[in-house]
Amino acid sequence: MVRPAERAAEGDGPLLLLDGVTKTFPNGTRALRGVSLAVRPGSVHGLVGANGAGKSTLVKIISGAHPPSGGVLRWAGRDRRRHTPGDARRAGIATIHQHVPLVPTLSVIENVFLDRSGAWRMTRDLRAEFDALVERLGYPVDPDAVAGDLPIGARQMVSVLQSLAAGARLVVMDEPTASLSEKERRVVFDAVRRLSAQGTAFLYISHFFDEIFELTDRTTVIRDGRTVLDEATEAITEGMLVRAVTGRELLAAGRAGGGEPDAGAPVVLRVSGLSSATGVRDVSFDVRAGEIVGIAGLLGAGRSELLRAVFRDDPSATGTVAVGGEEVKNSARAAVAAGIAYVPEDRAGQGLHGGLPIWKNISLPDLARLSRRRLVPRTADERARAERAVADLGIVTAGVDTVPGELSGGNAQKVVFAKWMYADTRVWLLDEPTAGVDVGAKADLLRLVRRFAAQGKAVVLVCSEFEELLSVATRVLVVRGGRIVAERPASSTSEEELLMLAHGLRTRRAAAPPSDPNEEEEVPREH
Amino acid sequence: MSTEAASGRRRLPAALRLGNAGVVYALVLLVLVLTFAAEAQGRVFYLGPTNVANVLDQTTLIGLMAITTTIVLISGNFDLSVGAVAALGAAVCLSLADDIGFWPALFAALAVGALIGLFNGVVVQYFGINAFIVTLGTMTAVRGIVLIVTDGRTVTAPDGAVRDGLRAVDGGSWITPNLYLLAGIVVLAVGAWRAVRARQWRPPRILVPLAAGAVLVAASPVAIFTIRITQRTLYLLVLALLAAWVLRYTTIGRRLYASGGNPEAARLSGIAVDRYKVVAFVLNGTVAAFVGVLYAARLGSINPSALSGFELTALAAAILGGTSLFGGLGSVGKSLVGAFILITLRNGFNILNLGANWQGLVEGVVLIVAAGVYTISLRRGRTRRIREAESPGPDAPDGDGPRPPGPPGKLAASAHGGAADRKDG
Repeated sequence: MVRPAERAAEGDGPLLLLDGVTKTFPNGTRALRGVSLAVRPGSVHGLVGANGAGKSTLVKIISGAHPPSGGVLRWAGRDRRRHTPGDARRAGIATIHQHVPLVPTLSVIENVFLDRSGAWRMTRDLRAEFDALVERLGYPVDPDAVAGDLPIGARQMVSVLQSLAAGARLVVMDEPTASLSEKERRVVFDAVRRLSAQGTAFLYISHFFDEIFELTDRTTVIRDGRTVLDEATEAITEGMLVRAVTGRELLAAGRAGGGEPDAGAPVVLRVSGLSSATGVRDVSFDVRAGEIVGIAGLLGAGRSELLRAVFRDDPSATGTVAVGGEEVKNSARAAVAAGIAYVPEDRAGQGLHGGLPIWKNISLPDLARLSRRRLVPRTADERARAERAVADLGIVTAGVDTVPGELSGGNAQKVVFAKWMYADTRVWLLDEPTAGVDVGAKADLLRLVRRFAAQGKAVVLVCSEFEELLSVATRVLVVRGGRIVAERPASSTSEEELLMLAHGLRTRRAAAPPSDPNEEEEVPREH
Repeated sequence: MSTEAASGRRRLPAALRLGNAGVVYALVLLVLVLTFAAEAQGRVFYLGPTNVANVLDQTTLIGLMAITTTIVLISGNFDLSVGAVAALGAAVCLSLADDIGFWPALFAALAVGALIGLFNGVVVQYFGINAFIVTLGTMTAVRGIVLIVTDGRTVTAPDGAVRDGLRAVDGGSWITPNLYLLAGIVVLAVGAWRAVRARQWRPPRILVPLAAGAVLVAASPVAIFTIRITQRTLYLLVLALLAAWVLRYTTIGRRLYASGGNPEAARLSGIAVDRYKVVAFVLNGTVAAFVGVLYAARLGSINPSALSGFELTALAAAILGGTSLFGGLGSVGKSLVGAFILITLRNGFNILNLGANWQGLVEGVVLIVAAGVYTISLRRGRTRRIREAESPGPDAPDGDGPRPPGPPGKLAASAHGGAADRKDG
């Protein structure tokens, strides 16, 4: 691993200084509780944190989209707490988001100089300027190519050019390599190195620890909206990083539930040889009655795609899914008929009908059973079911006539659960059921998941927060690149191990047998 | 109901608010204006039996089309081809009737309409091409087929069996019984049905129809209002009632709204979304062909360029009725009222002798105003909702823990706190 030398001139003051920055949203969510970091000119500063740690909020504060609620935000020595995105851009802060917002129908050069005023679309001066920028970047881009036709890596480069054209002195990159191939990653790395040598500072956000080690001079880790580690990258070890990201003190909280699986229980869900065009590759696993199987993996590892394929909602899927020994045809309708319940990741977009009242939402998957001759819904029964769900799940709402759009995240999620709870469900597929949900509702939802298992259902749970996953799951499958790369009983694994496996930091074992106790020794642990 | 009580200030029931029933108010207002204007000019009584029957009869074709167009719109799609399909239906029926007999020809016309609908639906749903583009294409192509079938000439129904057939489809008319009595009986029946269901008669939603029905029935010997109702109007009433019932009270309707409102969520709830959407197209095509035959029946002939722009009038009626162009929202009854508004405007121009030149301008303005009212009332409802939800939020105890699960503060977050960002930005 080649670590770049400290390139920044040590004498200079920091370009960007954050000290004790907090952010509380009007609805009471405290996204940041005290973040401090300092980015020096010409340095590459790594920012690491788990999902929901507050990275996105931090980026928005730096780029001026949100004002901070408290703390110090200095840019080149001047107080910048009240700046707008426009101010930030003019001051030299450029943000490159994961999904590059280019105008896909315009050419590269038009995108690069999009915010340039002037009457003409393209002038000779601009072309000269473009060439100079490309020279600085060291990556050739055709100025006349249409942005939408470029591969993602090249689009990243275009947005880097865009920020250079705006005169950026600090470029914030939010997971720039998440969807890039190895080769494209190299291109991004080279560009970052080259530009930082020329004096441009980078705030580099990444889930990939190897990138952090390879590229950055200094690393800040935030967790639960606080800076928990801020060191020169040279002084950081992988173990330190993992521990800082997960937070050891959280470990004590978990493992309350998740009873041992009953080895004699019948297999309810059997998935074999499942592959799909969306990236699922040859996945096979069984889930017994009463078992909660956790799927661990990083963002983009193929967790949601896997669940979607198991729900038979992926026309490109090959392989079989059987419920109670009977194969399920490849359509979501067949899956519902077979008793599979699916709680999708995007509640508002995929789980609920924003325009229908709660009671119509809840009865939707099971409407035929609630109807006379499967044709005329018995409204009274539907409403009774919704009332029961509101009481059972403690949904906070003005009544069953409320539309889900008026509910908080946790309550809306409970409505999604209720859609399937009273139907003939045998298998639950849960995709990030607790994302964007407050702590109280999260506990409720996890209790529900345990209840489903206790009722003898088979549960498959995808969750980014491994601590939470381990607190309910009986068994964990680790997914990376659309494959199951490891399997661990929840009782003999740890967050650190899952994180390592998910990052692919350890030698991959194909179709792992139940974990072997010796493996545990490799994991750096300090209890 | 509990929401109404909780909001403190007494508001109109949801069904009577401007955003919901605006089109009905508009029609009432329009009719009142026309009545007084006609009265002031000393012309015929606008609400007289003849004129009412006329308006009903003239609304039929647009009304029929507006109903199925509304269904397509609810399913989240769009159909521009119906005008051309109607012309083709008429052309097929009249061209074939002489050779194979009227009834088989009628059947063939309906089948052609259904097939074009099926084509639209399959291409839109299974090939994923935008409905606007697909049906723009079929509109043009079908109009071309009409020219081919008719060879560019007007097709006239030959006398004899074909004329008899056309008359059988659209010749009849009946004098209705006293409409006051009829309305009274219907309203009474509704009230009685509700009373039996709820086992009480005190709530206003039961008491009001019972009282109104009684008054109407009691007055019926004195107040007499009968009109001549044509056969085509009967088709309209039957289709409207049937469609309204299916949409409102059956699983089919529920799933159609769900499929249009959020196709993704509907599919993941196990609904055959594609099938519902295709069936809506098929229905629209079939009814369009039938409307074409009705059009030809009155004239006894079909001109290849007939019914051009018809689809836009039907869409205008649906939009006046508050149907959303994005699916999941709409009602057959209100679209029908929208159709009545358009026809009443035209009829009013005739009655008041205002000159047809102004008609297009006025219709267009009415359409935009209607859409504006819907959009604004929808937006206002949304902001009020957010304000109501937010008020308890900020003063929630701000301890170290995240906010309590109590007040429904956020909109359904699209995971990872998207809502919080939206509100702030």
